[in-house]
Amino acid sequence: MKQTHRELIAHLARRAGFGATSSELDFYSSMSYEDAVDEFLNDREGNSIPDDLIFRRHVDLHTMQGHNAAYWAYRLISTDNPLKEKVALFWHGIFATAELKLNNLGSLNNQVEMFSRCGLGKFDDLLKELSMDPAMLVWLDNHDNHKDSINENYGREILELFSMGVGNYTEDDIKECARAFTGWTVKNGEYMSTMGFKDSIWPYGRIQWHYEFREEDHDAGIKTFLGEQGPFDGQDIIEIISRQEATARFIARHIYNYFIADEVPVPQWSETTPRDPDAIAFISDSYHRNEHSIKEVLRDVFNSQFFKESAFMRVKSPAELVIGTLRKTGEYQTPVGGETGIFTVMEESGFMGQKLLDPPSVEGWHTGEEWISSGSLVERVNFVTSHLGDHNHPGVKEMIEKLNSTTSENNDPDSFVDACIDTLGLDKISEDTRFELVNVARQVINHENEGANVDNIPQETIIQMFKLIGSCREYQLC
Amino acid sequence: MSQVKYLKTLGFNSNQPIGRGFNYPYDIDFSSDGRIFLINRMGGLNSRGVRIQIFTYEEEWLEEFGTGPGTENDNFITPVCLSFDSRDRVFITDEYLNEIKIFDNRGNFLERWGQNNFPRSFKGPAGIGHGSDDSVFVVEQYKSCVTKLSPDGDFLSSWGKEGKNPGEFNLPWGLTLDQDDNVYIADWRNDRIQKFSCDGDFIDSFGSSGTKPGEFHRPSSVAVDSIGMIYVADWGNERVQVLTPTGDFHQMLRGEATLSTWAEEWLEVNPDEYDLRKESNLHIQTLPKHLQTPYHTASQTEPIFWGPVSVKIDAYDKLFVTEHSRHRIQVYHQS
Repeated sequence: MKQTHRELIAHLARRAGFGATSSELDFYSSMSYEDAVDEFLNDREGNSIPDDLIFRRHVDLHTMQGHNAAYWAYRLISTDNPLKEKVALFWHGIFATAELKLNNLGSLNNQVEMFSRCGLGKFDDLLKELSMDPAMLVWLDNHDNHKDSINENYGREILELFSMGVGNYTEDDIKECARAFTGWTVKNGEYMSTMGFKDSIWPYGRIQWHYEFREEDHDAGIKTFLGEQGPFDGQDIIEIISRQEATARFIARHIYNYFIADEVPVPQWSETTPRDPDAIAFISDSYHRNEHSIKEVLRDVFNSQFFKESAFMRVKSPAELVIGTLRKTGEYQTPVGGETGIFTVMEESGFMGQKLLDPPSVEGWHTGEEWISSGSLVERVNFVTSHLGDHNHPGVKEMIEKLNSTTSENNDPDSFVDACIDTLGLDKISEDTRFELVNVARQVINHENEGANVDNIPQETIIQMFKLIGSCREYQLC
Repeated sequence: MSQVKYLKTLGFNSNQPIGRGFNYPYDIDFSSDGRIFLINRMGGLNSRGVRIQIFTYEEEWLEEFGTGPGTENDNFITPVCLSFDSRDRVFITDEYLNEIKIFDNRGNFLERWGQNNFPRSFKGPAGIGHGSDDSVFVVEQYKSCVTKLSPDGDFLSSWGKEGKNPGEFNLPWGLTLDQDDNVYIADWRNDRIQKFSCDGDFIDSFGSSGTKPGEFHRPSSVAVDSIGMIYVADWGNERVQVLTPTGDFHQMLRGEATLSTWAEEWLEVNPDEYDLRKESNLHIQTLPKHLQTPYHTASQTEPIFWGPVSVKIDAYDKLFVTEHSRHRIQVYHQS
């Protein structure tokens, strides 16, 4: 069945953002699809809850030394430029760095900020920033990578997990890569890593980290890397990596998995054919054609036919589910000191399997159907229904008011269900599910109003329908 | 006019819910015998141990009270500011409970204002101070006003509303009075200090938004010494500014903390960290361009102010700057 313009826009909003409310759908639907893509890809900074208000209400977020996911959550739920944050979340899942080893969440937060700032730029530049990122340098031990005693951890992972993937380089390439990154470390690295290792907050709290290049500890000798030879440093290595076909395909597959449809987990990529080889080839070609610009690759992707036809082919990650729901309910738009809801709400994402800033390993999270288990599904449904089912939340109130303002058009069960689906920004739902929802609506509306048309559908009825829709399979997908 | 010089640093970080050491200290004041009372705010999900600590200028830790979080008479959720009156009663605001709690100088609970509208309700009480007649002045941040009460809590007057004009406020925070009973308000989101008579008549306004000398970014606290010099915790710019009595810029303080007695004691029994620390350079570095902001510079540099939330003047005109994010107090004096 052909998608309507509004359905297509809703799909774009779920992928390039965290889903749209009915009002946001009205806004994006008023422009052409291509213009809507451009709007999502715009370069503006974006407005979100200002830091000063967050820090005044939650002083511990000022130091970024605990529960930083709450700080990021404020940005995620309030930004008016959601693609920047969606892209930050994308890179956070690939360049997975966790708080557990670092014990320096401020530096981890700076990494996320870097993903937001550089995530749509040229991939080479992003990798360079990443290779100078203090959290990454400590996470993968590059502060222990010395001229006379290399530590190949970062050299290995930049090739295996961050760019080309297994099977496209040799063990010798790893060693040469590691040599090129010697001397790339953090200021006061020995003291900082010891504080992190000991989880030390003394004497005056943690000190955030910044990059330092130690020339005397850098191996400036000739290296042979991926068939090329020269006195390469880290920047040279990244430029060589970035122009490899294997890198293009690796990035293409990540983009496909995050923005289009679920792929098998990364470790299986070397043995499993992509779900849509033509799409991977298209994205790889776009990567080269656009000189590695992620933004331009995404523009090509969002305007492609395979993207437009991919609605509901991904399982929402827990973070997407939580943030998307909170954006609809309008919660936490004003930080309140002494209230811990924003902290606990992000714990919920952890209970569903995705604790932001704490990926399970350097490999990141396994995505797709692996998000769903009997336990996590219950968590997901309970979370959505409890939040959509609370009429005290401003977004829920607004949705109820919007529905009631058009009650005269929506007071029969069919129209009522469709209006609720649209209001939740879901745009379409399977016929079987819709049939059941209409049955419920018919019973409630007919029972309460004895079959007569009404001016206002009771709030409880609307809330009940929101909760039912939030429990549907389609709400778990995007 | 003399310059303010650094003297010493007090305290160190501890996330323990009891005992010495600070975790997000928020404000201090001095009892008549010179003991220092400090709000230990804690934070977020780790609020166990929000309390008032008492210690001396020589860093002798004495005792604590009000351990929470809680809503009982003698504990807190989010205490903000505290102030002693001439009877040595300490008044402590709690912006979450919307209350002012009053204790004697041993930490014994006396009374609470704001609960069940007794003697009145408050909306986000923050900065608090006392006139020479012990009248009580309190900032109500969510009402954008200053409320004046009698020493027994009877309503006397109130002034201010939300706005940018003289006499109006945007989420005001700190409050102090000078020796002539003029009232100074840190008008936080308007980036200025406003000065009023004790009856609420507008007298003057100092500063505007910015990072230059004399400009502020979210000032949180203000203090006035015995000769009328004005000290402003320029919180968002991570610095303290000293103004003349007429509000002209006089001096900028960035912070220059050294090891406190408590910090030295801790490091001496953790020699691995002490040794590495001695080999490190914790002063301001050349940071990457995207980190060249007051916040990032402060977060990466240990001696300078990070979260200078409160300025207070003791009986000897010493300036105490409390930093919530470095969990310590830096002390200065007029040279």
